[in-house]
Amino acid sequence: MSTLRCSIRCLRDIRAATTTAISASTKCSAIRRSFSTTVRRQDEGLQQDLDMSDDGFGTRIPFVRPVPASPSYFSRQTQFQDSFVRVQELARKYWRLPRLPMTQVERVAWKNKTQYRLMVGEAVRETDYRACMSLVRKLHQIHPDLMPDEVKEGIQPFRRDINVYLNIARQIPVDKFGRSHGVGKRKSSVARAWLVEGTGEILVNGKTLSDAFGRIHDRESALWGLKSTDRVDKYNVWALVHGGGTTGQAEALALAISKALVVHEPALKTPLRAAGCITRDPRSVERKKPGHLKARKRPTWVKR
Amino acid sequence: MIIRELRLCQARRALVTAPLRQSCLRALTTQTNVPNTQKSEIPSIFTSNARSSSNTRKRRVDPDKMVENYHMATELKKHIGKVGATVKKVYRPANVFLYPPGPKDVTLELLMASQAHMGHHTSLWNPANARYIFGIRQGIHIISLEETAAHLRRAARVVEEIAYRGGIILFAGTRPGHMQIVTQAAQLAGACHLFSKWTPGSITNGEVILRGMPATVVDEHDKPVEGYEKFVTESRPLVPDLVVCLNPLENYVLLHECALANVPTIGVIDTNAEPTWVTYAIPANDDSLRCLAVIGSVLGRAGESGKKRRLEDAKQGTVAWETPIEVQKFMAEERANAAREAERIAAINKAQSAA
Repeated sequence: MSTLRCSIRCLRDIRAATTTAISASTKCSAIRRSFSTTVRRQDEGLQQDLDMSDDGFGTRIPFVRPVPASPSYFSRQTQFQDSFVRVQELARKYWRLPRLPMTQVERVAWKNKTQYRLMVGEAVRETDYRACMSLVRKLHQIHPDLMPDEVKEGIQPFRRDINVYLNIARQIPVDKFGRSHGVGKRKSSVARAWLVEGTGEILVNGKTLSDAFGRIHDRESALWGLKSTDRVDKYNVWALVHGGGTTGQAEALALAISKALVVHEPALKTPLRAAGCITRDPRSVERKKPGHLKARKRPTWVKR
Repeated sequence: MIIRELRLCQARRALVTAPLRQSCLRALTTQTNVPNTQKSEIPSIFTSNARSSSNTRKRRVDPDKMVENYHMATELKKHIGKVGATVKKVYRPANVFLYPPGPKDVTLELLMASQAHMGHHTSLWNPANARYIFGIRQGIHIISLEETAAHLRRAARVVEEIAYRGGIILFAGTRPGHMQIVTQAAQLAGACHLFSKWTPGSITNGEVILRGMPATVVDEHDKPVEGYEKFVTESRPLVPDLVVCLNPLENYVLLHECALANVPTIGVIDTNAEPTWVTYAIPANDDSLRCLAVIGSVLGRAGESGKKRRLEDAKQGTVAWETPIEVQKFMAEERANAAREAERIAAINKAQSAA
């Protein structure tokens, strides 16, 4: 078929060339052709080359033609659309298989749109991806003993390579001296605290608490984990803090101490969370931007 | 930041009792709640709100019988599934996909049942469609089903012959429900499908827009051939040899590009569409998915039979298509390169033997 189309194109080109030859000189037609925006097919040239290169053995040309490798060739999203069509087919085929309720299904980390786009390198649309993922999740709900292999293969491209839900948090041990170690951060301060069962002695960077923090508010902040759980006189704290200012250091210390405290008494985690001593405060100084005086402040508008 | 005033009472309340583990050293110190801890080792927050174990009814955990039940149900269905009255001539929407009708099954009844005759409101009509219109009923144009059937059969012939001659067919339907129709037609005919937006310029500017799309080179038996990797990566992207468009109104750009590139098109033309946009019009209702499913499956079946005929003829040694000129050029170049290489090696060998 393509040869037929090519020959029609050749005819059109020849016709154009003859008309221009009548109306103007050949130079003119060459200029016209060089300025034309359409892609010039060089079929005539190709044919001539072929005729010249014919070796005269009369060997039969094998029948060979290029075809799209994927039926989604013209959509520019071959991998995604092939997977999408496959998933739809599977969903239609296995719709009647019994499915587990959402709570009992094994948790799987799925790729989000950005991760999927990075993998396949295609501009997948959000709506398409969401429609596809809802089917994938439904298919994943099929009872694992009845799940056909083709479903497993079909939804494989949408799984993340690493299942984050299989990760287990590392247990912090209490060492042979009975110390537990916690690290806390706040703003640009980093605090490390070692907790030992004791009588409430506290050393921060080798200094007493009142020497380390001049403000009473900061002192209270630093020990808030112990104070809110009535443990001030039951543990000794030895801590190292660096970076940032006093507020940051004090609240970093609070985080470090409460983390170390949880190692000794895991049951305190919930009350400590309620007291606000478990969550890292993510706020920090916003960066300065070009065109701004500070992070957000802009120069005064001047008319000219 | 720690908000003490708010959190304090909560934390205190949570800590009526002492922690889980008590060490000897801490037991020596002053404790406000020593007796409480001796009573139970679990902190009160874990027990205070919960009902005591004697009152709670233990929830029985049933063993998972889902698989067992499923197998039992299928077994039962095998035995008693056919019991009862059999209802004949029932319309099942999925049947058009389960048993797709072919060009031979096109009847006026089928077209009428699938609402192919329903046109648009008379005020929306395109007068160019006057010859396909049977009349007016309740304010809408009625498409003549005889015309529809004739044009559908003609389009089916076109698809079949192009499939027979090894052309690349593209089924395009870009409205929400068209995906299944288009993919099934493409699957039947061994063709391409398009159910998302047509990227403008995929034909006229294919070198840029379809660059790097995967293609393979096949022989007359549709078996992939080795040795054309260089050709596949370097040659121009492919252009369809026939485009079947289910909704021409939304795909003007596609049809225009096809017209520029001399690609024949088949389109479903409703009473409000412009029939000159497509090469082979099929006057029918393009707003009914049921009608489009019938049309799609008829054309898909036509492509299937053409493809089947092509492969059978190829087995007999008859091939109705020629190797494209680009591929012939590539083969000639490769042959020339091989000959040159052989000459060079022969010259080197000769020189070595002379020395």
